[in-house]
Amino acid sequence: MADFRLQRLPSTTPAAALGARILAIALALVIAGVILAFVGKNPLALGLQVVTSSLGSSFGLEDLGLLVIPLILTGLSVTVAQQIGAWNIGAEGQFYAGAFAASAVGLFAPLSGGWSLVGMGVAGAFGGLVWILIPALARAYANVNELITTLLLNFVAILLVYYVSTDAWRERGGVANSATPRIKAEIPEFWGLVHWGLPIAVLLALAMAGLLAFTRWGYEVRLIGSNPAAGKYLGIAARRHLITVMLISGAIAGLAGMLEIAGTVHRLQGGISNNYGYLGIMVAVLARGSSIGVIFAAALMAFILNSGIILQTQGLTTSTVLAITGLILFLTAIGDELSHYRVVRDKS
Amino acid sequence: MTEPSHRYVVPTGAAPLVQLKGIAKYFPGVIANQDVDLEVMPGEIHALLGENGAGKSTLMNILTGIYQPDAGEIIIDGYACQFASPVQAIAAGIGMVHQHFKLVNAFTVAENIHLGWSETPRRASAPALEERTAALAQKFNLQVKPSARITELSTGEQQRVEILRVLARKARVLILDEPTAVLTPAEARELFKALRDFVSTGNAVIFISHKLDEVLEISDRITILRGGRKAGTELAADCTPAKLARLMVGRDIVLADMRARPPGAAAVSSSPVLRLRDVSVLNDNGHTALHGISLDVRAGEILGIAGVAGNGQRELSQVLTGTRPAATGVIEIDGHAIAHANAADFVRRGIGHIPEDRLHSGLAPGLSITANAVMREYAKPPVTIAGIFRPRAAKALARQIASVADVAIPDFAMPIRNLSGGNQQRLVARREMRIASKILVAAYPSRGLDVGAINTMLRYIVDLRNAGAGIVLISEELEELLNLSDRIAVLYEGRIMGVLDNDRVDIDEIGLMMGGRLRGEKGAAHG
Ligand SMILES: Nc1ncnc2c1ncn2[C@@H]1O[C@H](COP(=O)(O)OP(=O)(O)OP(=O)(O)O)[C@@H](O)[C@H]1O
Ligand SMILES: [Mg+2]
Repeated sequence: MADFRLQRLPSTTPAAALGARILAIALALVIAGVILAFVGKNPLALGLQVVTSSLGSSFGLEDLGLLVIPLILTGLSVTVAQQIGAWNIGAEGQFYAGAFAASAVGLFAPLSGGWSLVGMGVAGAFGGLVWILIPALARAYANVNELITTLLLNFVAILLVYYVSTDAWRERGGVANSATPRIKAEIPEFWGLVHWGLPIAVLLALAMAGLLAFTRWGYEVRLIGSNPAAGKYLGIAARRHLITVMLISGAIAGLAGMLEIAGTVHRLQGGISNNYGYLGIMVAVLARGSSIGVIFAAALMAFILNSGIILQTQGLTTSTVLAITGLILFLTAIGDELSHYRVVRDKS
Repeated sequence: MTEPSHRYVVPTGAAPLVQLKGIAKYFPGVIANQDVDLEVMPGEIHALLGENGAGKSTLMNILTGIYQPDAGEIIIDGYACQFASPVQAIAAGIGMVHQHFKLVNAFTVAENIHLGWSETPRRASAPALEERTAALAQKFNLQVKPSARITELSTGEQQRVEILRVLARKARVLILDEPTAVLTPAEARELFKALRDFVSTGNAVIFISHKLDEVLEISDRITILRGGRKAGTELAADCTPAKLARLMVGRDIVLADMRARPPGAAAVSSSPVLRLRDVSVLNDNGHTALHGISLDVRAGEILGIAGVAGNGQRELSQVLTGTRPAATGVIEIDGHAIAHANAADFVRRGIGHIPEDRLHSGLAPGLSITANAVMREYAKPPVTIAGIFRPRAAKALARQIASVADVAIPDFAMPIRNLSGGNQQRLVARREMRIASKILVAAYPSRGLDVGAINTMLRYIVDLRNAGAGIVLISEELEELLNLSDRIAVLYEGRIMGVLDNDRVDIDEIGLMMGGRLRGEKGAAHG
């Protein structure tokens, strides 16, 4: 009789990993479909609805395009920090800080047109950088865990933006009294609603991948990230690399905030981040440390989020949508792990 | 040397405690094990021998549930078993102490013993755990300090904690992967005594080692693996080191005498290339590890450093290679004092370093073999040109280093931690020798290597000296030091007890100096 067993392999092939993911997503959709059928919805019709409205129309595709921009950047921010062994849980705060700094320039700097956009971009990246500066220095010089410092600063940034958008910079006589006036400088669109932030985000991810794989600096960063003691053995300036990488991570998240302001929302308001900072952590986990993988992980995440929005318009509650989203992510993670296994057959 | 307290006789009718039948394990491109049978009887100390990469660790990882075999059977007490994890293996009475300990450094001994153990009381105060630990230590006759933190312990003491952890879980088979590689001779003797006590009540030990003398001393039977297959099982009483070596490699090993200087070898330079003057060094805990040491290393000589491990060897190798600053004193290279020690700077000046803890300080275990092989030369052409890192050139260099190091590598993109312990060491050694044009500081370079590989490694070290480099050889093996060194310095508690010329060495004198007596001092040992 033959006996079947599972065996764990130390590494996995790309094909197995991809297959496991596709399987995981399919399985999640089937489970979701069963649940939907139980609560009296027609899962096939809903599924068709989601696919046609997000992928079948240029409207849907444009929405996806807009969603994917901040997700690529916050995912990239977390991934870059991971390379040197740091967990940037603060992309959310850096996003707000970048949005804040970019709005300040957009609203008050005496710049016009293109120059205003350049100023906003610089300010956005700089805002994110400033927001991670203290965690970076604290980790580098006092070995303070960046998980906590970056997380705590999120709340500070969120409150700061609430304050200015509902008080100091509020649009007087505006409709909602909870946002700044419209910022004049706008990033031009190149396809429907989708602005040039998308190619910028993709190029940035490719550039980071290139920097890490094809420069001496990138090699040193990967080495220290993998084993700090080896950095000491080689005499690499580990502290300087750590600070640089964390600042780059913060600047990328800050730039995401700027693009959201200048490309999509055009005014600063509370909740502007839509949790993109936290979602970036999930994107990074799905991308498994690959900067190019971030692009695809962000696209998947955008599709899931977008489907959620569509399902809500079809009368599903937010919590159902959240549950389905969670299910997909959960099963994907399990699929990743399972792709390390193979079934072996004992002949006895 | 103590006589073994028992002689092994295969008990008639007794079932083997452990039986492996036809075990196979394949990794991509590698046959780690194939058709391996192994039988361990109650009361037996069974040694596992084989060249680097022969599959010893893999076989034991299969027996303890870390890996699943691709074929074959595990039979315990006559019953076929399958272990999906080490937890299941220990429940069946099979426990392993790995070469790299798995203790939690920030925890106390008592906490480590009780970590992840079903018999740990649910609500336990620290004193209660410590009391239980003390009782266990008493029962198994293994002296440990229950309240001490792991970081405060010597390597030998940490190993005792690991063993106690396994024995406390009622192991009947104790597997030790190269346990003596990191022990002092005194600690090794103590370990052997504990092992004999353990098997005297019908338990068994499986013992992996590259030290043939030790294997012959401690074990009852010896199984030899070659290229993943079993080459035979022998009674230790019927074996000699030469016979074992032949079984391991499949041919005779000729141990070369390395002391002769061939004509044309570089002469010893008159002035030192590397010099320590009154150098004191602090260890990681801020205590003084080296007290005002002065040492000269000349080009074209091998300076042996003798001494029991833990007397400042680690700090000495680090200060000589710029990875640890001197607290006081002067370090000179070619007569120039070095103001700010920096490892990269030392490398640029042609100083290589084979560190004692190669896996944790000399490698990035999670990165590819290529990334690890180029660690010393990544910053210069051909690997990096104008700041651009060239993966293809890196791989070519890695291939070159691996082929000289005689390590077969199926996939250079594989994490280096997947290589066998000895093969990691070979790669590190070759990598360092390539850049050591001026000085090579080699800490225990033969640790973890099989007999053949030790021979090759020492040959390379001598060749490097003959080519004009100065070598600092830190070792515990007196024989190795005497066979290679031009001069021998003895280190004791962070001080140099004296430097001897090898042609006028008195072994007894070295022994006394290793125990703390100053050179030429007569009378009682120095306190
Ligand atoms: N996880 C793994 N992935 C791929 N190859 C592996 C893995 N583990 C071990 N190997 C390969 O299997 C072979 C046997 O390795 P193993 O560690 O068992 O050797 P060993 O006999 O313990 O050698 P050493 O004396 O050097 O410790 C080696 O070629 C090694 O590279
Ligand atoms: Mg091994």
